[in-house]
Parts: sequence; structure tokens; C-alpha cells
Amino acid sequence: MNTIAENIADFLKEYPPFNHLTFVELSIIATSIRVVNLEKHKILFQINDLLHDSFYVVASGVINLSVIADAEETLLNKCVEGDIFGLRPFFAKNNYMMTAKAREESIVYAIPIATFRPFVANNSDVLNFLLESFAVNTRNPKDKENLIGKLISDNVFYSDQQSEMQYFQTLSYNTSPLKTNSSAIVQEVAQLMTEALKNNIVVCDNNIPLGIVTDADMRSKIATGRFPATAPVAKIMSSPVITVLENVSLAEAQLLMLKYNVTHLCVTQDGTDKSIVKGIISEHDLILAQANNPGVLIKEIKRCQTSKELKQIRERLTDLIQTSISKNIPLSHVFNIASEINLAIIKRSVELSILDLGSPPARFAWLSIGSQGRKEQLLLTDQDSILIFEDVSADKYREVKDYFLKLGKRTTATLEKIGYELCPNGHMGSNMLWCKSLTDWTKQYDNWMNTPGENSNDLSSIFFDYEITFGEQKIEDAIGNVVFKNAKNNTLFFDFLGNDALRKNAPLTFFKKFNVEEEGINKDKFDIKTRALMPLIDGARLFALYFDIRGINNTFQRFKQLSITDPKHAEIYLNCAEAFLTLSKFRILEGLKNDNSGQFINLEELSKIDREKLKNALAPMRELEELIKGKFQLTQFS
Amino acid sequence: MLDWLKNINKEQPEFWKNYVSKFEKKSSRFVVLSTETSGLNSDKDVILSIGSFAVIDNSIVIADSFEAVLLQYKFLHDNGLSNEFLVESKMKKLGEPDAIKACIDFIGNSTLVGHHIDFDVEIINAALERLDCGRLKNEALDIDVMHRKLNDINDKQFSLDELCTAYNIPKSDRNSAAEDAYKTALLFLKLKSRLGIK
Repeated sequence: MNTIAENIADFLKEYPPFNHLTFVELSIIATSIRVVNLEKHKILFQINDLLHDSFYVVASGVINLSVIADAEETLLNKCVEGDIFGLRPFFAKNNYMMTAKAREESIVYAIPIATFRPFVANNSDVLNFLLESFAVNTRNPKDKENLIGKLISDNVFYSDQQSEMQYFQTLSYNTSPLKTNSSAIVQEVAQLMTEALKNNIVVCDNNIPLGIVTDADMRSKIATGRFPATAPVAKIMSSPVITVLENVSLAEAQLLMLKYNVTHLCVTQDGTDKSIVKGIISEHDLILAQANNPGVLIKEIKRCQTSKELKQIRERLTDLIQTSISKNIPLSHVFNIASEINLAIIKRSVELSILDLGSPPARFAWLSIGSQGRKEQLLLTDQDSILIFEDVSADKYREVKDYFLKLGKRTTATLEKIGYELCPNGHMGSNMLWCKSLTDWTKQYDNWMNTPGENSNDLSSIFFDYEITFGEQKIEDAIGNVVFKNAKNNTLFFDFLGNDALRKNAPLTFFKKFNVEEEGINKDKFDIKTRALMPLIDGARLFALYFDIRGINNTFQRFKQLSITDPKHAEIYLNCAEAFLTLSKFRILEGLKNDNSGQFINLEELSKIDREKLKNALAPMRELEELIKGKFQLTQFS
Repeated sequence: MLDWLKNINKEQPEFWKNYVSKFEKKSSRFVVLSTETSGLNSDKDVILSIGSFAVIDNSIVIADSFEAVLLQYKFLHDNGLSNEFLVESKMKKLGEPDAIKACIDFIGNSTLVGHHIDFDVEIINAALERLDCGRLKNEALDIDVMHRKLNDINDKQFSLDELCTAYNIPKSDRNSAAEDAYKTALLFLKLKSRLGIK
């Protein structure tokens, strides 16, 4: 055996199903491996290709598995380091049913089926894993957490079959249920349930389930006065519990609940109530298994206890956005839903920080600024926020500020774990500069607006898009008053903002070609954020401030409102509103495709029609530019 | 220059004749080769270990590999060097004649690939001369040259580590001829696809 085979065996033993094999067995496998390098976008196999004589393990990089149905490419799964795919040759003789394509430059290990087959036959754990991988099509991020390595399917269920198929999928449920013994006092049990935010608790004797107490029992037996809150829990529990085996399917669980008219099923080791409790399936789990709908997500967020759980939800939001867009749900609607969910996530993050730090010493407001402030955040972009706390006496100021800085740090750290990158410019509530009292903030805005350009290099227009996420509404109102009072007849300020809006480089060259990046890693790509979206966003903000339009932060809605307030130029505003949606869609599609912020569009990947569409959407910008030039005297700063 | 004249009357070993006869056919197999040597002078220094892998159809075939530690007891002793690593190594241990013979059998008529491969070829040639054989006949590709050709750089050389960084290949802490050969093989695959070599 050679050194490299040993290294490969070392790598494999970390991942299922290889972790079931001994090192000697792995060494045999590793020795027979071929190492394949796939350049970006290289197809390893595609639908209807003859089966290869090996299956694959990703050593580095990302492989996309996709199917083409109705002339549309649907992404089934992304395989990352340690994932196995291409199992079809194990179980079936017909050709591949999916396409495996390298999303980035990747290295995969090809393991010959002939070498691996004996180990499958002799080891039931390995066989089971492969069978499951082959049979289950899991795109549920919740599962990702539960499994050490993702199961990746080679079977394809087309969307029309999916509704039937999901009934046979296995459920994910609570595997660490609350437990108590039969002599516990109801009041204590209720306290326990409240703290854990659970609506049920299993009454056990040595982990053998005796009964279950749910919110309904509390309502019907305690709150009605039939039993005192000091009674032992055995008096009010529902018994016996309905028990099921561990790998119950969605369909079966649903049937059992209907049959016995219960809301919870108890999972036990052998499926009877004489063995150890393994978990609790609630109706809630069934709903989750069926849909990623926005309502469910928001409800879920409120229960989350850790950033990890919130991260899962954020991942599901990405799925939701992806399906919404593929179903042609209007983008303005998608913006609304996504921003509500983002809002809930940020809110919960602040709450979690407060739970850790204790209650705040003063009232405060956590404002999201920038894209989330405008409710336009669909992709995982960076987080921008500010924190305003009410004025406190001078002797307490230090202590209060310390608390809020800590709060800011904790919250931004949580959000970072969820996937919102920290703002590179430090525009966050955790920054000394952007976490201060209401008076200081009033001064700050006064300064920015009355003497723009002077000693205020840090003025960023994103501070004028704000949305309260958590805390006192009154504080946000106070800041709003300051902003609009200062904006009135403030030519200097509008001069500054106007110049700022026009400073961005034109999206098209003189010859009506796209102005692409000239160097760097994004060479020849079109910077849609800076060149197309920002001018529209800046323009909308400028006019909204000018026309005293309050409470509308969304660029699309700002333009809509402007067309009503300033009917003379309604046509331009409406064109801009449409253009904004079109451009956003381009950005989102690009972002979803590449798992990034979608700032740079790869024009070569666009079809000719799409390219024309993109070009047309850039046209209203010129009109808006002219309008800005005509409306404001842009002399001071140009 | 007149090496062949010197050798013309000597009977060459069987394995060498066998090696030469393989060149009647052309090969599509590549052999990535890396040697660990006692120094950089091909006349005075000796090979301490050899690691190599075959690359066939754009993939590294792990089973088709050769690695060995050379038992250079005499050289180490003469130069007062420790032979500890020889004793510790778990790799196959061979005397220089056997190792070179096995290596030549393994290489066959494949195209050689390596990092600064000319030196590896030179030092193997020196060892071959001690066995009364001719010089290696294989074509050879240097990944450093390939990299410089790809990026149009003429004025500088790149170390294996630099190349690994440039192509995102994880560095390992263990350093041996086999590790180097493996990294070189990965680099070769990447460069090969970028340069469009069939």
C-alpha cells in the first residue's frame, strides 16, 4: 500500500458509509481509487449517459446534481466534501438519470463498484446507507443537520409526483423530548414546559413512557379547576401514549394521529410503550415536513434558541425564494415575505442577546439600515444596523452604553453565524460610532444634513433607509422627525445627495455596450449593484426625502408613491419602478445560481433576449438622471 | 557526447533491453515522478526515495503507482549522515539497483511528468549509468514550464508550494516523494485541462 492511499483512507473514514468500515478495508478501497480533476462547469456524467464503472466521492469543490424536466434544469443537490453520488450503477442497470456538473474546480475520487460491492454485501450498515441515499431525495436543510453526511439521491421524483412521494419520506422530529416522572407536581412541570417553549412533556418511569401531558391537558384539567396546580402530574396525563417506531413515515404518522385523535406520537425503541422513549412527533413536525411556508418559518424563528437553528431557517428561506421565483410570484411580493422573515430573524437575534445579557437598562431601538431597511434583502448580503438608546443621566451613561455595545456585539455575532456577513464599513450597532443615545443621534443627523461634505466623510446614504427591528417605535419616530425637519428646503443637502446619486458610473458605454469590469476577479462581468441598482435606489431616496414621503422605504414603493405625489413625471417614476424589479430579478437569479450576493452578472451566461431585457431596463435611469439634474442645483459638490 | 561509444561493447541488462523495446509503441500513459535526493548534484548525490503515479484518461490511478525508499547505506555512511529515516519508513525498501530496475519497469514508455523534471531525469540517468544502462528515452513534461507557458511568464521559476497555492491544492504537513508526486499529479491534471493537452 502506498502513502497516498493511506491518506485517502484517512479522508474517507470521516464520512458515511465509509465510517462503518475498518481501516484495512478502507485501504483496499483507497488503493483502487482513481483521482479525477474536474474543471469548472465540467460535466462528469449526464442524463442518459451509460453507467460508469464507479461511484464518486467529492474530495474538494462542489458538484451540482441536476435533472432536466420540461426543458428546465432543476438543481437536486449540491455535493460538497465527503458527499457520495453517482450510486445508480449499484442498484440499477439503466442509464444515469441526472447530470453531475462541477460548480467550481473540483477533485473527486472514483471508487470502482467492483471493488466496493463485496463490502456492501458483507456490511449491512453500509448497504442501508447506500439504499437510503439512493431512495431518499432530501433537499430539506433540516435534515442536513441531523445527518453527518448528506444523503444524496440518485432517484428523481418529478414535481408532479412529489406530493405523493413526500408521504413516504421519513420525518424529522424532536429527539430529545422533555421528560418527567409521575410524581412531579403539575405547576413545576408547567414551568419546565414554559421554559423549554414546548407544548408537551412525556411522563416516564425509567425512560419507559407512561403518559403525556400537553397544553390541552393543562387547559382542560388545570385551568378549569378540576385539579389543583399542586396535583401530581400522573392525575392529568393522557395515558397510554400512542407509540410508533423510529422510522415512521409522514403518511403513517398522520393516519395514527387521526385514528387516535391525538396531537403527539411517542417514538420508542421497539414501537411499543414498553421500551425506551426516543422522541416525540408533534403535528407541528408534520406541517414542517410538508411545506416551507412563510408563516411556518416565522413561527419557527420565534422558537429558535440558537444561531444554528436560525441558520437552518435562513437556508429554508433561500429555498422558498427560489421556488417563489420559479413559480413567477411577483417580485414585490417576494420582497415583502423575505423581508418579514429577515426581520423576524434579526428580531430573534436581538432577543437572544437580551436573554443572555439580562434586561436592558434603558429603552432602545435597533434599526436595520441599508437593504434590509428598504426591505429589499433577498440574498444573504451584509448586515447594516444602528442602535439608538434613550437619553440617560450623565452618571449612568457609561454603563448604559457599555450594555448596548455588548448587545450590539452579541447580536451582530449571532447574525454573522446565521450567514449575514459583517458590514465591511462597520455600519453596525456593535460599532462605538453607531451605538449612541438619541441626543447624539439627533446631533449626528443634524450635522450630516446641515453641513454635508464637511468633516463627515462617513456619511453614507444608507443611513437614510432605516426600519425598526426591535424596541421603541417612538425612538424611530423621533429620528424620522429630525430627518424630515432638516430636509425641508435644505438645498445644500439635496445638492450633496444628488451628486452622490449621479456619481456612479454609467452602465452603458457610448456605443450602448455594457460597461463591464476591466480587471480583478470579476473581469468582464457587469456590476449590476453599483451601476444599475444603486442609482435607482439613490434616486428614489432623494426624491422621497424631497417630497416628504415618510414610512415608505422600499425603492419600488417609493417610485410608485412618487408617481402619485409628483404626477408631472409619473411616467418616469413608473418606468423606474418596473426597471428596478427587472434588475433585481437579474441580480437574484445570478445570486441564487452562484450562492453569493449576485452583484456581478456574467453576461456570457445570459441569453440574447435576456441581455436585451437587461439593456432596456437600464434606459429609465437616464431619464431619472435628467430629472435629478433639473430639480436640484448640483453645483456645490460637483 | 560519446557515451554510446563507451557502452557499445558492454552487454546491457535484460530489463533495459525490455525497456527500450517498449518504445516501439506510443503510450498515452503519463507517469508523474518525484524523487527525494541527498542533494542537487546529479554526479555526486544519490536518490533516497522515489514516488510516482500513473495518470490515465485525466485521472490519477492510485493502484498504478510505485514508491520505494532506496537503501543508500554506503552513501550515507561515507558522508556521515544518519540513516534513521530509512529504518523508520514504512515504505518498500530496495537497494539502488533493484529500485531503479523496478522504477524503469514501472515507467515504461510513458511520458514523464514532474516538477523540475530535468533534474529527476538527470539523477536517474546517473544511477542508470552505474548499472551499465543507457539514458532515459521518455519524453518529459515539467509542470513549472506548463504553468509559465499558461501564464506567459518567462523570468521566474515557481516552487511546488507556490504552484499548489496558485491552484488551490491543500498542502500537507508530511513531506515525502509520494506526497510531492501526488501534488504534482493534481497540478498536472489542472494544467493539462487548462492547456488543452490531450
